Amino acid sequence: MNALEVKGLSKVYPEFTLDKVSFCVPQGHISGLIGRNGAGKSTTIKGVLRLIAAEGDVAVFGKDIIKDEMTVKQMIGYVGGGFRYYPMNTLAAIRKAYEPFYPTWNQGKYEKFLAQFGLSERKKVKELSEGMKVKFALSLALSHGAKLLIMDEPTSGLDPLSREEFCDIVLQLVRDEGVSVLFSTHITSDLMRIADDIVYISEGKILAACPLKELLGKYKLAHFSSLADATAANAIGVKSVKDGYEGLLPRDAKILNGVTLADATIDNIIVHLEKANEEKRHG
Amino acid sequence: MVNLIKKELALCLHPTVFIFLSFAALVFVPNYPYEVIFFFSCLSVFFCCMMTRENGDIAFSCALPVKKEHIPLAKILVTIGLQCIILLLVGIIGAVKGAVLPAEQYVNQAGISANIVLVGNGAILLGIFNLIFFPRYFKAPDKIGVPFVIGAIVEFLLIGVFIILRWAIPLYSITLNGLNTVNTGAKAAALIIGFVVYIMLSAISCKLSMKYFQRVDL
Repeated sequence: MNALEVKGLSKVYPEFTLDKVSFCVPQGHISGLIGRNGAGKSTTIKGVLRLIAAEGDVAVFGKDIIKDEMTVKQMIGYVGGGFRYYPMNTLAAIRKAYEPFYPTWNQGKYEKFLAQFGLSERKKVKELSEGMKVKFALSLALSHGAKLLIMDEPTSGLDPLSREEFCDIVLQLVRDEGVSVLFSTHITSDLMRIADDIVYISEGKILAACPLKELLGKYKLAHFSSLADATAANAIGVKSVKDGYEGLLPRDAKILNGVTLADATIDNIIVHLEKANEEKRHG
Repeated sequence: MVNLIKKELALCLHPTVFIFLSFAALVFVPNYPYEVIFFFSCLSVFFCCMMTRENGDIAFSCALPVKKEHIPLAKILVTIGLQCIILLLVGIIGAVKGAVLPAEQYVNQAGISANIVLVGNGAILLGIFNLIFFPRYFKAPDKIGVPFVIGAIVEFLLIGVFIILRWAIPLYSITLNGLNTVNTGAKAAALIIGFVVYIMLSAISCKLSMKYFQRVDL
């Protein structure tokens, strides 16, 4: 069963359109929602959570979010980029206001998370570091037994060590608690570590929604000594680099002489596909 | 809904709410346009909405397992609760004033006396504020200034109208003015009319706010 199914999610703004976004997050998987700034990652997440009035169908564990809004939201743990709410309030005050909404709230689990993350409930939100805010948001989201974690750029603003720690926590949650995760990020190194699937969005459209290995297996990063070589090889999104040109080649493409190949990372794939898109747009 | 109201009370009430509730005691000030007390109540709504914005409360609430349209309803119900408290306090403190001060000191040269008609007038003022402020606020919860300024202007115009009525119309200057113990029936009718208007306007305000908030993009 899919933890999350999004079908034809659309939202029209004067300068941006989320165009029939469809993807799913299989149960027990970590799916990374990637794309450049302004690609529509946050709009997608807001549409899923009904924070914006978007069209389309969203189902969580088979339940429609419009028909069963309360039940579905009970199953979701939402973590925005850190915890930007109630800076002047203590964590205890926020927890006391938050927990009555969840009949499945587990105080013991919450206290365990606080102890694990080194958080004190007497502190005010403004006294927490960015990393601590993310951990507090996670503690709240996980203590009510959320089966699906939706996180919007949770690692932005975290130092590499905290990001590493965050990824370890998410991995542990998936293994131990069996939660499913959708998280948006533009820090793709995090995804390389923990993601099972990738949803790649560009200019409000889904360009790829598949397992990470499948996406990485689709392309090779090719290095060319001249632009003519790159053009001859039909390389995708060719761009000039320090000592030649780089582009993507489909893994099964015929390799010409003088072309150096390497495994493509998510960053490579995004950069070159975006470049190819840009070229297409400008004729 | 109860949980949302509890959350509002715990996290969204600005301290000025309690200070402005204590302004009900202004009915003891001689020769003062007592309707202004209700403007302070409107001001406390403005501060609470500012606090809501600064705390990111609406986005936080929307992610909770609640229906989106219940978020404006909870906020308005809390406001109505506070408004009922100020109306009650003005009524009680006004009655105490009438009981402890000589009748000549009870007469207000700046507007109507601190009797139950004042409470009715206050209910109309607050009902109109609710109708003007909340639907506009819930159309765009980040823009609090314009709805409040429009609401405040209308409030002061109405306060002016009530002061003029106090001097220009015998019904207001004689029948509805003075102690509660005189012309009690007429005064009670004015109070009831005030509350009916308040309930109707606040109910319309709730309906519109819930409708507009459904379309809000956070």
